[in-house]
Amino acid sequence: MSERGHSDMHFAARTYDVGDLLAAQELYHANGWTDGLPIVPPTEDAVHACLEWAMTPPDQLLGIEPVRAVPITAEKLAINAVMAGCLPMHFPAVLTAFTAMLQPEFLLHGATSSTGGCAVLIILNGPIRRELGATGSFNALGNSDRATAVIGRAIRLALINILEVRPGGIDRSTLGHPGKFSYCIAEDEEGTPWMPLHAQRGLPPEVSAVTVMAGGAPRQIMNEWTTQPEEILETFAAEMRANMRQYSIWSGNYALIIPPQLRDHLQAACWSKADIADFIHARARVHRREWAEVGKGAVVRDRGDTEHAALGSPDQLLVVAAGGPAGGFGAVIPPWLGDKSRAVTLPIGACVDCEPPGQ
Amino acid sequence: MPLKVLDPTNETAPPLGQKAPRLASLAGKTIGVISNGKEGTQGFFAHLDRMLREEFGVADVLRHVKSNYSAPAGPDIVDEIRRWQAVVTGIGD
Repeated sequence: MSERGHSDMHFAARTYDVGDLLAAQELYHANGWTDGLPIVPPTEDAVHACLEWAMTPPDQLLGIEPVRAVPITAEKLAINAVMAGCLPMHFPAVLTAFTAMLQPEFLLHGATSSTGGCAVLIILNGPIRRELGATGSFNALGNSDRATAVIGRAIRLALINILEVRPGGIDRSTLGHPGKFSYCIAEDEEGTPWMPLHAQRGLPPEVSAVTVMAGGAPRQIMNEWTTQPEEILETFAAEMRANMRQYSIWSGNYALIIPPQLRDHLQAACWSKADIADFIHARARVHRREWAEVGKGAVVRDRGDTEHAALGSPDQLLVVAAGGPAGGFGAVIPPWLGDKSRAVTLPIGACVDCEPPGQ
Repeated sequence: MPLKVLDPTNETAPPLGQKAPRLASLAGKTIGVISNGKEGTQGFFAHLDRMLREEFGVADVLRHVKSNYSAPAGPDIVDEIRRWQAVVTGIGD
């Protein structure tokens, strides 16, 4: 490949000559450029292939992180994607995810520097999932497949290297959570009649899309003892109420991950994602006085009767069909900090800055 | 096999401001305080306010609270900074 040359693509990044693969590992680890795991050495050929696949020039500016005025270029993102193990076909999802994170409502600096320690949850929708082999089935929130593993890791490495979001540096997380290595899932669109998440959020269902959300660790629930939608969803709502009591009371985007066993009961009763969101909006509420029951009486003050809803409106709920076929489990992914950061959904391969035709 | 690999970091140093000239004394000065608004800032900055006035002879301490503790200070606060001789900013978790 090296004979091909890259006369059409000039990189701005400094280069380093290393003796072999192991020397490359040590260079990157020693400079604090990894997440602690081995990386794929980002050669010009590999980075070129990613950019070419995405039809993106290296100096394409995805955006500027506003707080520290750091420009994010496609080249630097591609270098980090290669390091994470991305093949060229994975790069458009990485590019779109980072572009989504740069939208003002995501509040990127706050979400990635906060002591709260959230990670960037990435949800893939549309045909690209099948092209990449991202199934959204067994072990959906773990290491389910190559595509979600490397796309999620690419985002974390890019944060570490481009925005210096290193533990103790910009990343001030007290605890963080394991999703910070990689936190990417695909919706199991073939396994459900439900409207896919990106369509729920206003995009045409036939496009591929990425949704990003500043998310805490997944909180797993279990209810294998009913087929009633209200009872199943009450378990999810209870977990959200627990989060509001023990963690943070503020309303914002919550994601519900619903695997097939529980999904089947909801679908058989013809509950749509919108029906689920309405139910959760009504049920996931606590009174401020409940804080006194969990050791936080000091901040109830004279507002004990104030009711707080987990969702400011039903459309703040991201319902995602994903998970292996058996098991009456589900997960609630809470927001980092209420609505300070809002989930963003963008289509893959569309220019968000382009003028619409005829303008 | 020798490899040529690329630097993954942001090599362009973010624009840094210049340090303002240090004040020889705080006496008679106007000091601004920008708090992130968290619970822990209240007692801390109240104490600092008292110290600045009583121990350092500061003429005026102007305390401001950001509207969003995870975002930069709003333009209303930033505009006011030029009227102060020094500013203290901090978080209080």
